[in-house]
Amino acid sequence: MSKLVCKRCVLDSDIPGIEINKETGFCHFCETYVPISSQEKEQYLNRIEELFKKYSGRGNYDVIFALSGGKDSSYTLYKLKKDYPFLKTLAVQFDNGFISDYAIINAKKICEISGCDYFKLTIEKKVLYELFRKAAESYDEFPKFAKYRASDICNICISIIKQKLIEQAIVQKAPFIVFAFTAGQSPNPIINLPSNFIQWSRNLFEKQLQKIGVDDRDEQFIIKNEVIKNIGDIAPSILHPLCLWEYSEDKVLETIVQLGWKPPALEDSNSTNCTLNSFACYNHLEKYGFHPYTFDIAGLVRSGEMSREDGLEKLQQELSQPLIDDAAKKLDIKINKPQKILL
Amino acid sequence: MEQIKNDILDYLKNNSFMEREKTIDDSDSLTQNGILDSIGLLELIDYICERYSIEIPEDMLTPENFDSLRGITNLITRLAK
Repeated sequence: MSKLVCKRCVLDSDIPGIEINKETGFCHFCETYVPISSQEKEQYLNRIEELFKKYSGRGNYDVIFALSGGKDSSYTLYKLKKDYPFLKTLAVQFDNGFISDYAIINAKKICEISGCDYFKLTIEKKVLYELFRKAAESYDEFPKFAKYRASDICNICISIIKQKLIEQAIVQKAPFIVFAFTAGQSPNPIINLPSNFIQWSRNLFEKQLQKIGVDDRDEQFIIKNEVIKNIGDIAPSILHPLCLWEYSEDKVLETIVQLGWKPPALEDSNSTNCTLNSFACYNHLEKYGFHPYTFDIAGLVRSGEMSREDGLEKLQQELSQPLIDDAAKKLDIKINKPQKILL
Repeated sequence: MEQIKNDILDYLKNNSFMEREKTIDDSDSLTQNGILDSIGLLELIDYICERYSIEIPEDMLTPENFDSLRGITNLITRLAK
């Protein structure tokens, strides 16, 4: 049967678990999609403001911010501090061993402009390379929910960031953790993290690591149990304000470039900060046969943040062969088909 | 009970990448069978609270109550009374 592509977004019938209704031409995500109305967005923003006013000023920081140095997180940090200047914010940049020099310079610059403290979270490169190699070599070891939302490598990386940011929030007694996810990436603007759930998610990630052959006895990647034991009365909440603001890639870029953010010279349309991303996409395509950004881009198209035409074009763009080769060399992985990848 | 279970199953099929024809036993682990990860669980919890107009006490957010269709169905039945 020939491939059917959803008429509204970019998901297609070749992706396992995706069903296209032949009558309507829509995928099952689009058929049941209910966008957040502007009234609901306003209500969420009011709630976030109330939460900020109620819980800020109690710990060492009010917000632990996940800063990659890429365009979305740089813009979100700038706007967050512009809209809520009273928030004492610690921006954490995870050095996964592949962040570009541009990302570090941009992250520090945006912190300086926004008046935030900057902290670079580092783990020994050798340890990270080994971890990413195991993720790249694993097959079908991640839950479908995760596997279809990002590459195995990105899932590992983002999980470490989440675990370590929650850990940092507990240590600093910060009531909020802010991520720069768009509406396409996360539909929930406010996520409360009860301490039971923090423990459970830690254990789930520990098991996930074990599945790919990593035993994190030193708790380098997962939240330290000792920290969870000392969680205070109020567990942190995760906030996604970017999904409530009007979003367009052009507007975001225009704003931050004016502030002095430098567009990186990376030949990778999907990431402006990570030099491992092209390899992660290549690896996912090789293993599973579809682009790991498909679901992410489908979400942006579905929510109207990106045109369908642009979304389809983005998925057709070539991955950077030099970046793939460089990452493969660092991870000590042989590339089977050293040619340009096209969908 | 059966209606709640089918509702949760529909949610999983509509909101995750669980194959339509896939069957799971009532006691199967949703996380260990690769159906949900921690983010998926949070979204499911959010859906349950809204769909059934219930608040879930923190001490009930456990794998026993949320990692299987049976656990979820029992929990909703108890809290929605």
